[in-house]
Amino acid sequence: MKILKSWLNDWLDIENISNSEISEALESLGFEIENKKELNPNYENIVVGKVLEVYEHPNADKVRITKTDVGNNIYEIVCGAWNFDVGAVVPVALPNSKIKDNFKIDKRDIRGIQSNGMICSAAELDLWDDHDGILLLDDKLLPGTDFSTIYSSNDFIWEVGVTPNRGDCMSYLGIARELSKYFNKKLKHKKSNLKPTIANILNAGSGKIKECNSYGSVEIENFNVTNSSFEMRYRLTQVGTRIINNVVDITNYILYDIGQPLHAFDRDKLFGKISVRKAKNNEQITTLDSQVRKLDSNDLVITDDDKPIALAGVMGGLETEVSETTTNLLIESAYFDKVSIMKTSRKLNLISDASIRFERGIDYKIQRYGLERFLMELKDNQAINYSEINVDDKGNLKNKKVILEYSEIKKLLGIDLKESFIKKVLKFLMIESEVNKESVKFTPPSWRYDLDRPVDLIEELAKHYGFNNFESTLPQGVHKNNKGSYWDLKSYLSSVLTSNNFQEVQTLSFVNKDKNFLFNPEKKYVQVFNAIDQSSRFMRSNLMSSLIDVYKLNYEQNNLSNSYFEINTIFDTSKNKIYEDVPNQNIVLGFLTSSTLSNTDTRLNDQELDLYYVKNILTQLLSSYDLEPITKPGFHQNYSFAILKSGQIIGHFGQLATETQMTLEFNNEIYLGEIYINKLNLNNLKEINYVPLSQYPFVKFDLSFSVPIDLSANLLVDEINDLLKDNENSIEIFDDFQQENSRNLGIRIITRSYDKTYDDNETREILMNISQSLESKFNIKLNSSKND
Amino acid sequence: MPEVNTDKIFAAFLLRLEEVALIEDFDDIEKEFLGKNSLLSEERKSLSSLNEVSRKKYGKLLQDLSNNITYKLDEEKTKFKSKFFIQRELNDNNDISIDWYKNLGNKNHVLTNVMNEVVDIFAAIGYTVSTGPEAETSWHNFDALNTPDWHPARYESDTLYLDNKLEKLLRTQTSTVQVRHMQNNEPPVYIVAPGRVYRSDQLDATHSPIFHQIEGLAVDENLTFSDLKGTLEYFVKEFFGKDLKTKFIPHFFPFTEPSAEVLVSWKDGEWLEILGCGMVDPNVFKHVGYDTDSQGFAFGVGVERLAMIRYGIDHIKNFYENDLRFLRQF
Repeated sequence: MKILKSWLNDWLDIENISNSEISEALESLGFEIENKKELNPNYENIVVGKVLEVYEHPNADKVRITKTDVGNNIYEIVCGAWNFDVGAVVPVALPNSKIKDNFKIDKRDIRGIQSNGMICSAAELDLWDDHDGILLLDDKLLPGTDFSTIYSSNDFIWEVGVTPNRGDCMSYLGIARELSKYFNKKLKHKKSNLKPTIANILNAGSGKIKECNSYGSVEIENFNVTNSSFEMRYRLTQVGTRIINNVVDITNYILYDIGQPLHAFDRDKLFGKISVRKAKNNEQITTLDSQVRKLDSNDLVITDDDKPIALAGVMGGLETEVSETTTNLLIESAYFDKVSIMKTSRKLNLISDASIRFERGIDYKIQRYGLERFLMELKDNQAINYSEINVDDKGNLKNKKVILEYSEIKKLLGIDLKESFIKKVLKFLMIESEVNKESVKFTPPSWRYDLDRPVDLIEELAKHYGFNNFESTLPQGVHKNNKGSYWDLKSYLSSVLTSNNFQEVQTLSFVNKDKNFLFNPEKKYVQVFNAIDQSSRFMRSNLMSSLIDVYKLNYEQNNLSNSYFEINTIFDTSKNKIYEDVPNQNIVLGFLTSSTLSNTDTRLNDQELDLYYVKNILTQLLSSYDLEPITKPGFHQNYSFAILKSGQIIGHFGQLATETQMTLEFNNEIYLGEIYINKLNLNNLKEINYVPLSQYPFVKFDLSFSVPIDLSANLLVDEINDLLKDNENSIEIFDDFQQENSRNLGIRIITRSYDKTYDDNETREILMNISQSLESKFNIKLNSSKND
Repeated sequence: MPEVNTDKIFAAFLLRLEEVALIEDFDDIEKEFLGKNSLLSEERKSLSSLNEVSRKKYGKLLQDLSNNITYKLDEEKTKFKSKFFIQRELNDNNDISIDWYKNLGNKNHVLTNVMNEVVDIFAAIGYTVSTGPEAETSWHNFDALNTPDWHPARYESDTLYLDNKLEKLLRTQTSTVQVRHMQNNEPPVYIVAPGRVYRSDQLDATHSPIFHQIEGLAVDENLTFSDLKGTLEYFVKEFFGKDLKTKFIPHFFPFTEPSAEVLVSWKDGEWLEILGCGMVDPNVFKHVGYDTDSQGFAFGVGVERLAMIRYGIDHIKNFYENDLRFLRQF
């Protein structure tokens, strides 16, 4: 909502209050200032002129020459506009003046005639868009009057946000009401003294439906559709409304001024009784913007005996629109139900100044005043006749009484408010109340829908007390620096991965079907019903597709890195074991790395990563785990593994299927996987099993076995560990050589006794024991042994 | 008496030293002048045939020569060695201005960093992290949070739904976690809930269909508006710095009353909104089954917004494109 200082001053005496003080007031009352600016057009040498003569230019057809009285002189001025004649009072930019965009006006020769300045249009003076020609001013203005004095040219404008609960502040009256307490000033109400001179011809009423609580109307005859006043056009332009004609301009003006939307009909196009009803299904109306609107029974229409004449509260009908030839009017001022207007407006995607106000809720008692104000705007310059104002009010709306105990104020706000302060706020906000010793009983006024509970009034009091005037205290919870297991786990996993050159990413959760299907053809995917982009309407069922996209993007960008991870939610439609009534969703750690870095021009390129690298990362993450081969869609048939911890599957990893790798045109192998965060326990990951250090020398064996291709080497390691379980051991595979169908496995054993130094015999015995045990248990053969 | 001229031997020794090219040459010289078959050793053998006086005198002469050679040899050897190492290191000429080890991506995402920081700030005053589902019920997202049926936030133009009955949706705010947490825990409550939220917006410079919020909730005996104010002022000072000024302006949220927005004074004196907050509305307490007499406050802060303000990031899109050129910088 745009607030013009000069306009606001009509309601509240604020002329002498500084703009910054007003800004502060607006903000502290909850009107967020979106924009503010000083209006200062800097008119110099622009005066009021009166056209005394008009005659043809001897050398040009398209322009005329005028003799114009500019006060102390009569100038010959050439003019290209034709919308005026002798006697017109017009703005004249004298020689050596500036108009819009600092364009300089001076004496100028126009086809042999010297023009002493320029007669201006509204657009040329940066007032409003007007393509009708010269701006015609009030006849009563004296020639030579400084143009900048004829309206509030030095003005200030604020654009403020009005929160959705405060429909009553969508007008100058509403804003002024709020400010009146702040500045301790009374509202200046305009009083009317109306004298109806004609009887109503039409019968207008609010119909039978509850969605129209009241319908007010007045009929006006002998109306001359012309321009509205200079001031009105200026003000409406400033608040962003298009200038149309005096009828429409005044209805808009009243809407901004008091918040009551009005609608003007050409009365001669209406027949019979004017009423309000719900539209019939598939009923049609052509609205003012020439669009044919198809309606249903949720929409409200205004009708006469023949037809719908307006889409209630949203937009008028084209057929009954006021035109230049209109002379008789019916002006409507109604209260329509919030929700009904909102639904129609959203459904038709038709949002008007009127619909915005109706849907937030307008004052349910202001309909008559709206019509009075319309008539008051006409009283000076129109030879009109008008009827009685007729308001058909069902009286269904009534705000209920609420009791606020003072103790509740202290309890919620932490401060005591003085009774005098409370009384004053209530008075300025025009809230009817009965103030007692320990409580106040209040009835919200007809424009406040947001005050139906005690807490609502507490908020109001707090606001007028000033949020920034409250003390600040810092309460603290009992358990300090306890972030909870989820957050600790997430931080731990992230720190392990980032210290291994993995980059964390955040990717969008919406994917196309293929990205889910690649890895999870078996799942049913959660879909967004009203997706932003139909092709990406699926919620992702895995993080791996997203990580592949990130890898691909950076690979193609030549960004040097090859390891990424993300911790986020994946979705599918199976039953959610934690939260009832929502689709299954789990927080997962997804990770991806490729065999080489993206770039090819550095020494780092020597570093080839493989499955074993990823295994080492898993060891850092999980400390201990088991792997079991599994078949997973999207994965290499031999390199796909379930990750188990304490016998439970906690994730999986492997190599991207070679076919997929080729399809994606990656030269590098891709290793990727997921770990299910909710299956992990941070304490297990960080578990420490201390092994005491032996004080005796080690013995070391390098054993080479001939083994089957499909033997898991760690079985041998486990067996050796078991055989030497009383010692301190380090047992490692140091060689795995495969050729055709033969395979040699090298195992290095370093072992220390806790209670003695082994002699040669004992050493030999250990070696024998190990080799024999392994040979018989795994049916393998020792090729060689080396002992140092 | 002396048959050898020690000065001549020493001069010959010095000449040999000048010829040294390798460290091993010193061993040869030592052998040549002090070894078993050296002239010096030969002379020493002949000492026994001399009378005592001559023996003493000549013996001393030989000993002095031996000492001088040994000393000089050591000295020269040390010199040679240090010269050798100096020379060897002088040949190591790698250009340190080259960054052979490239700056790989090895960081947390900037949004994670901001969330961690906010969580740390609140953990320090006793708040714990709570979480909830991202695919939610409309009840948790709207009804329980006192959002009326007709509220515009419920429109399909704003909210992403998962079914045609509009009963399930992608949460539009982390406030849903408030509801879930209170349903399952009794007061006192001090929680923060970082997480993803969803809106029906195309991804562009200033909008994203996904962004992150951190919701905070405190419910305890006697919590007041002053407590809310103090808590958020503490947060702003911890996050942005002690010198920053804050102000509270009234606002409207369906689930809090009174509601406020917190603004901070930024560089050039501009006031920026950074979070919304308020005292929990009694209707919310009613919906989660708390005593309607309960008291507490809630706040919500946009993670992207915090990051954009702090680092001057211009496009919200950057957060989700995952271009390493961006990610690496934080």
